[in-house]
Amino acid sequence: MADQADIHAIPDLMIDDGDAIRLVGSRCQNCGSPFFPAVSRCANPDCDNSSIVGARFGGQGTLWSYARQNYAPPDPVLRDEPFVPYVLGLVDLDDGLRIFGRIDTDDETQLEVNARVEIVSGHLGTDEAGAPRIGWKFRPLNGRGRK
Amino acid sequence: MRRVAVVGVGLHKYGKFDQSVTDLIGDAVGRALDDAGVSWSQIEAISSASSRSGGRGWGLNGNDIVRTFGQSGVPVYNLSAGCASGANAFHTAYSMVAGGVYDVMLVLGGEKLPKGMIQYAASKEDTDAEYVKQRCVGVTGPNVWALEANRRIAELGTTPETFAQVSVKSRILARDNEYARYRDELTVDGVLASPIISEPLHLYEVCPVSDGAAAAVICAEERLSEMKSSPVWVAGCAVATKLWGDAIPSDVAGFAGQQGLHHSEITGAVAKALLQAGVGVKELDLVELADNSVFHELQVPELLGMCEPGESDSLLVKGQTMPDGRMPINPSGGFLSFGEATMAMGIFQVFEAVHQLRGWSGKRQVPGAKLALTQTMGLGGNAAAIVLKS
Repeated sequence: MADQADIHAIPDLMIDDGDAIRLVGSRCQNCGSPFFPAVSRCANPDCDNSSIVGARFGGQGTLWSYARQNYAPPDPVLRDEPFVPYVLGLVDLDDGLRIFGRIDTDDETQLEVNARVEIVSGHLGTDEAGAPRIGWKFRPLNGRGRK
Repeated sequence: MRRVAVVGVGLHKYGKFDQSVTDLIGDAVGRALDDAGVSWSQIEAISSASSRSGGRGWGLNGNDIVRTFGQSGVPVYNLSAGCASGANAFHTAYSMVAGGVYDVMLVLGGEKLPKGMIQYAASKEDTDAEYVKQRCVGVTGPNVWALEANRRIAELGTTPETFAQVSVKSRILARDNEYARYRDELTVDGVLASPIISEPLHLYEVCPVSDGAAAAVICAEERLSEMKSSPVWVAGCAVATKLWGDAIPSDVAGFAGQQGLHHSEITGAVAKALLQAGVGVKELDLVELADNSVFHELQVPELLGMCEPGESDSLLVKGQTMPDGRMPINPSGGFLSFGEATMAMGIFQVFEAVHQLRGWSGKRQVPGAKLALTQTMGLGGNAAAIVLKS
């Protein structure tokens, strides 16, 4: 768990909620579709009665797939200097949001498609002023992301 | 709708060049005009893909070409659709000629990009969707392709050697294509020994950025008698965008509720183009598809229903995706051997398909090719597909 005083990658997208973090988004009350970041209008093309309210997302999910970024990506990606490779994944949260995020692991060979993960906060890299920045990450359950 | 034909195509060799993007596009345009046998003054309108280079920083590349060839007052349409721009520009021109607005149009696209990974977020505002995705995660193109490749490995068991074979096959074809940037032979071992970009994809398994340009002249049926070349017909031409709930969200997050949708922008555009053409996907003699990585050359034919899920691997290994095989894919050598001059790609594919349908492709010729499909995809969830018929 990152210190609450740590600077978020982007302000107001994430709140620390005790042991868990929650992503600040929205949901359509008419069709139930989840959105992150928050939206002002439902983007489900089959929903003809947009009714957006604030919603929080977090908890656990299932890893659709993952990949390791081996070379330093261009700005504005947060990273460490010198570059430390990171692993990212695409996760279906149990509450219906499909979301990209870094994975809290340094060994993606321990990961598996369909592994269960939980969402946590963690270090993403240092910003242009050299300050560490945090954001949401996925931590494999059962230690190594095994199913 | 009127029948429309491609009557001229031009391509500038791919690579890294000192000339401006306008010079590269101008070269391709000159070749396309010569191929069609039309003069600049016969061009009634221009549809241009908006490059990140030239165009006064506003994507006004069509206007740059007008200043080069002559300010005739010709209407210019500049448009952007990420890496699908060239094909979207073609579709715009096709639609206007088919709809009777103009009879003869020029389509063009070219690109010069700096070395390295394409930089995505143009804005640094916290409210910009692409900035959020890059700042908070860092999702590069090769990263997404690797993620998709890992999913394929888990679902269908594709091996590293099979992925590498896609690049080997690409280079066999590029050896006989004078326009390609990379024409040296590769081996499976050589591909697998190249640096890992994003596991499981190696350097030689993703398309790099290149400089290049392409152009085409299209014409309504009733004006064909004025043209020098024999026509290649546009049998189908469609644009589509990604569906809500697609496996790969366009932004940092999406909707997890529609399992099974994957590259819906591609399948949507291709289905519409085939429907217009009135042909089935298995009737195609060749397909030029967007092989941004080795993953795409295996997955896209399956998504389009050209073969069963997982079958691409064995077809590739048995040589069936070569020009003389039963499912020829990317006889040009594809993006893997050309690199991506992003704005040109959709028109580059038309160039290859037209040459194939004219029987001009030499050692890479698909025997008796009469029906070809081209397919692009671009950032933001864009795709376009064109069916060409001799």
